[in-house]
Amino acid sequence: MAHASGVGARVRRKEDERLLRGRGRFVGDIALPGMKELAFVRSPVAHARIRGVDIPEEHRAAVFIWADLAMDGVKPIRAVSGLPGFKASEQPALADGKVRFVGEPVAVCIAATRAEAEDIAAQVFVDVEELPVNADMLEAVKPGAPRVHEHWSDNVFLETNVGGAIAEIAATAPVKVTRTIRTARQCMVPLEGKGVVAHWDRHVEQLVLTTATQMPHIVRAGLSECLGLDQGLIRVVAPDVGGGFGWKGLLQPEEVVAGWLARHLDHPVRWTEDRREHLVAAANCREHHYEITAYADERGRLLGLEADAWVDAGAYSVYPFSACLEAAQVGSILPGPYDFRHYRCRTFSVCTNKPPIVPYRGVARTGVCFAMEQMIDAVAEAVGREPWEVRLENLVPPDKMPFDNVTKKHFDSGDYPESVRRAVAAIELDGWRARQTRGEPDGRLIGVGVATYCEQSAHGTAVYYGWGIPMVPGHEQAQARITPDGGLELRVGVQSHGQSMETTFAQVAHEVLGIELARIKLVHGDTALTPYSTGTWGSRSMVMAGGAVATACRTLAERVLRIGAHLLQGRPEDARLVDGCVRVGQASIPIRDIAHTWYRAPQLLPPDVDRGGLETTCGYKPKSDHGTFSYATHAVAVAVDPELGSVEILDYVVVEDAGTMVNPMVVDGQIYGGVAQGIGTALYERMPYDDEGQPLASTFMDYLIPGFTEVPHVRILHMMTPSPYTEFGVKGIGEGGAIAPPAALCNAINDALRPLGARVTDSPMTPERIIAAIHDASTSAAASTAEATR
Amino acid sequence: MKAVGFDYERPTALDHALELLARDDVSARAVAGAQSLGPMLNLRLAQPDLLVDITHIAELRQIRREDGTLRIGACVTHARLEDGDYDDATRGVLPAVAAGIAYRAVRNRGTIGGSVAHADPAADWIATLTALGADVVVAGPAGRRAVPVSDFVLGVFETDLQPGEIIAEFRVPALSERARWGYYKVCRKAGEFSHATGAVLVDPARGVSRAVIAAASGRPVVVDDPEVIHGNGCRPERIADLLAGTPIGGDAFEVNTHTVALKRAIAQVTA
Amino acid sequence: MTHSKTITLTVNGKAVTAAVEPRTHLADFLRERQLLTGTHLGCEHGVCGACTILIDGEPARSCITLAVACDGHAVTTVEGLDGDPVAADLREAFSTEHGLQCGFCTPGMLVSARDVVLRRPTADDNQIRVEMSGNLCRCTGYVGIVNAIRRVLDARKTAAE
Ligand SMILES: Cc1cc2nc3c(=O)[nH]c(=O)nc-3n(C[C@H](O)[C@H](O)[C@H](O)COP(=O)(O)OP(=O)(O)OC[C@H]3O[C@@H](n4cnc5c(N)ncnc54)[C@H](O)[C@@H]3O)c2cc1C
Ligand code: FES
Ligand code: FES
Repeated sequence: MAHASGVGARVRRKEDERLLRGRGRFVGDIALPGMKELAFVRSPVAHARIRGVDIPEEHRAAVFIWADLAMDGVKPIRAVSGLPGFKASEQPALADGKVRFVGEPVAVCIAATRAEAEDIAAQVFVDVEELPVNADMLEAVKPGAPRVHEHWSDNVFLETNVGGAIAEIAATAPVKVTRTIRTARQCMVPLEGKGVVAHWDRHVEQLVLTTATQMPHIVRAGLSECLGLDQGLIRVVAPDVGGGFGWKGLLQPEEVVAGWLARHLDHPVRWTEDRREHLVAAANCREHHYEITAYADERGRLLGLEADAWVDAGAYSVYPFSACLEAAQVGSILPGPYDFRHYRCRTFSVCTNKPPIVPYRGVARTGVCFAMEQMIDAVAEAVGREPWEVRLENLVPPDKMPFDNVTKKHFDSGDYPESVRRAVAAIELDGWRARQTRGEPDGRLIGVGVATYCEQSAHGTAVYYGWGIPMVPGHEQAQARITPDGGLELRVGVQSHGQSMETTFAQVAHEVLGIELARIKLVHGDTALTPYSTGTWGSRSMVMAGGAVATACRTLAERVLRIGAHLLQGRPEDARLVDGCVRVGQASIPIRDIAHTWYRAPQLLPPDVDRGGLETTCGYKPKSDHGTFSYATHAVAVAVDPELGSVEILDYVVVEDAGTMVNPMVVDGQIYGGVAQGIGTALYERMPYDDEGQPLASTFMDYLIPGFTEVPHVRILHMMTPSPYTEFGVKGIGEGGAIAPPAALCNAINDALRPLGARVTDSPMTPERIIAAIHDASTSAAASTAEATR
Repeated sequence: MKAVGFDYERPTALDHALELLARDDVSARAVAGAQSLGPMLNLRLAQPDLLVDITHIAELRQIRREDGTLRIGACVTHARLEDGDYDDATRGVLPAVAAGIAYRAVRNRGTIGGSVAHADPAADWIATLTALGADVVVAGPAGRRAVPVSDFVLGVFETDLQPGEIIAEFRVPALSERARWGYYKVCRKAGEFSHATGAVLVDPARGVSRAVIAAASGRPVVVDDPEVIHGNGCRPERIADLLAGTPIGGDAFEVNTHTVALKRAIAQVTA
Repeated sequence: MTHSKTITLTVNGKAVTAAVEPRTHLADFLRERQLLTGTHLGCEHGVCGACTILIDGEPARSCITLAVACDGHAVTTVEGLDGDPVAADLREAFSTEHGLQCGFCTPGMLVSARDVVLRRPTADDNQIRVEMSGNLCRCTGYVGIVNAIRRVLDARKTAAE
């Protein structure tokens, strides 16, 4: 039964009103009586031994270093992976004897205002003895490279090997193409930085940490480990959070420090990450390097794939995802949505003197898609076919679903080739090809690019226990409670920071119970008020917590029907829930009256009433928790200015399949936002470091994120193949938009550059790189002409 | 990211401002729209003892035409120049350029004087005023002096401004009816500072034919070579010569980008 | 030793007198002293637009405007636009078009969007994008915001006809 505001309805968001009036409540908005502000003294160099920290005498009481925390038993952050060979790092919340990246917190200063705290920080001098720096991952793995962690045997957190023998294919394949491909280190840049307010609640005797996080329960677990406090003594609250994208999906050193200080000093403290701290000291992501070879037959049918991949994981392993998630994920997902049988991939999570990398929207998939989709285009070029045809040749066809691919990924459902056909039709490829042949009056070069991916999302126990990291998602729980006045309260342990869950979870509950949206309240982001959850990451919230909400609401529906039938003097098996009322034949009673009966007129209840009442907590897992596989094909048309190397996006089409959409407006919003970030990855965003490990971008003047004029009016076409495994057939959709744009744009740019014989392989595809590619092509062309004439 | 502590004064008379800026017991600095100084303060790249806010000095906010010259007070905002509610002797050049500076919220406070005094090589007014052949009028303890903008900007964030001096106004010569203007900025994002700017003024009635290469990480380079402007001299080799000695003179990519910017500005004039 | 200054200004229609440190920027003054936390800080160097407010009715960056410089002026924040008819139309349109997700950029977006509606009543989508380019959003991909502004402009055009 479809409700006007249930699953599938494009309803307006419940969270909008407060946010549109500036009456949300973000961490930085919270001021507690007696609160002091924190400023961190951070390492000015990438690698050094700390000889000492000089603190002016008059500020001694306002400055704390690791020794102060250690004396109190505070432990370093440890995020160990159980994968064999993983080398563990210890990250003290303030540097302990050594600094390993520029921006690493060394001391914390406390004052009435942030400005005064910064005044103190400016007077604290960190005396360092500089050490040789690992600024580049490929150098860092060479023998003799300086060690980031001295007691390690090399700078590799983890090496993984996936797949097996491929030599035979390599020797016999008619087509072989090899590429070296690189993606830049980026920053995640939610518009709100990180922030935390910590205080000790004397009444409840709990440390209360209000923090901009995507995973309050995991932060609590991590804090408990570092501070040596029982989890029962800690409450973590996520208020309104201004975007996360992964940056707020970890335990941060600053949270440990703030938590310790609040307890130690017995007054509230607040730290708000400013933009420079965000860009320089943390929030890094996505630096991959691939050496990759594809083998194919003459039609472009893939016979095998071989790759070595390096990920620059930075100096420490982040809690809870660890330093190896990204690289190891490369190994398992590089084959993408394609069906081929021979595969070998070796990955390295490399430790360098840069900030730890954190999984950013799409995690390894964006890099993987960038690499794999370049290879598909390369194969197409080698066999002289249209790239989209070669995709059709290799994509898993719908009649093979569900399908286990070469790395044992279990694709649940969908028609991958159809997404390509629709995207190619929607972008009107023929028109662009004709325009390419004609040429542009302004001399620009037209190119069209396509990229397809599938995204494993909402993967659960089956996938994560193997990683052996501090967090393994199990049954996701939700609590549902009908209030005495017939409204509904939902409590979930995931956290909404733009994903619109206050609305979409209410839609799910409405679908089951028929209670009006306006009367459904979602409580989230608070360890004291919600069931345990690993939080919001991996495009999992709607699949997992949405499924749990549906399950809990069904349980309540059951109970409501029994009470209703009794009150209507009918049989429970004849009772139905319609529009928020229990009906038996012509008789009907609203849930409101049933709630009233349970809470305020219990004398009327049936004697065998379920004693759980109108409140329940239910756990949920999809039938298969290997993850849902949403997928999409992106097609883009660009104009490349060969004189300046600039790229204009002329049209951008997304054909995606997220299974059943709970709220199509919200799904579109996630895709638009993801594509914008993907365009940033493709064309603009780069966190450059010099040889000394110094970050070269520290403001939005030099770290460019796309704005209104850089993002086109993306066109989205939906396919809807329900997942056979989940409630309503939903699939995870949060990250997808950000995965394909770099690949699609790269292929489009190379399509445009083809007449010049030029090619780009690294992101971001900046004017410098495009001009360099054109220049290289023309010099090598000139050289070969010279060769020929000689 | 908070500024260091400083004092603040907001005089309403120019003399008073000059007196405050002349203090040698403190490092005093003028502030106008704070759209460049504000970020520098927040980043602690600027750490003054005293800021002298000059935006409430009435004469610095005036804009008026006097015969063949447009006199623009230093504290006239970009937004006012954009909106064009004055007798525009430049025939639309000023409003068009102003509209391309940053974003409206920045233009509402940022000033033409602050822009030139700040001397970011990529600043629009530096390129524009140089190409227009404007003079800057500087007021200081020793009175006033006028300097061509092309001589006033000495390098990256470096001007001929002496301690205690401020920019009082600009004098922009009026363009003749048949003057042609070309302006091309290479930006990766709307409102971003330019990576390469070409500006060209051809005003035969006044015998002016002038091109400017700006945003070249140094002072703007004035080109009056007719071969470049009217012939086919706007090529990378020639531009490399003109940029020789600047930090980007040997950088082929930069030279190329500046060549293209200038070429496209010239194309607007000759089109 | 620096000296605080006593300033008198209008904030959302109400006269306010306060002693401020000259170094305090307007956003901090509004947020920390006036508890008007609708004005957000996304960069503190003038680029992101999250802190955009009105000074004497004109949009400005509150992160790079000193509070002392607003002595004698009128400041309006998003909280002060509750009763503003254009802002009301925009709020409605932003919600209908899904012009916000996390909502962090939203107050600044509304202030700039209001200025576009009033100053550029005939703007096409492209002009909307250029005029709004000083406000960054990391969540929405801008499509919903452009659509929302388009919707308000169109409605006003129709109403005027
Ligand atoms: C996000 C952003 C984008 C921008 N993009 C552009 C752009 O695309 N193009 C562009 O040209 N500019 C750009 N700007 C800079 C902007 O134009 C500034 O307004 C301008 O550079 C400085 O003017 P101001 O009045 O704000 O000066 P302030 O910031 O107040 O002062 C700047 C400097 O000049 C000094 N000063 C100010 N007035 C005087 C005076 N009359 N005499 C002597 N010294 C003085 C100050 O002491 C200070 O050193 C941008 C700024 C921002 C924040
Ligand atoms: S906070 Fe003011 S512009 Fe970003
Ligand atoms: S809605 Fe999150 S930054 Fe715009």
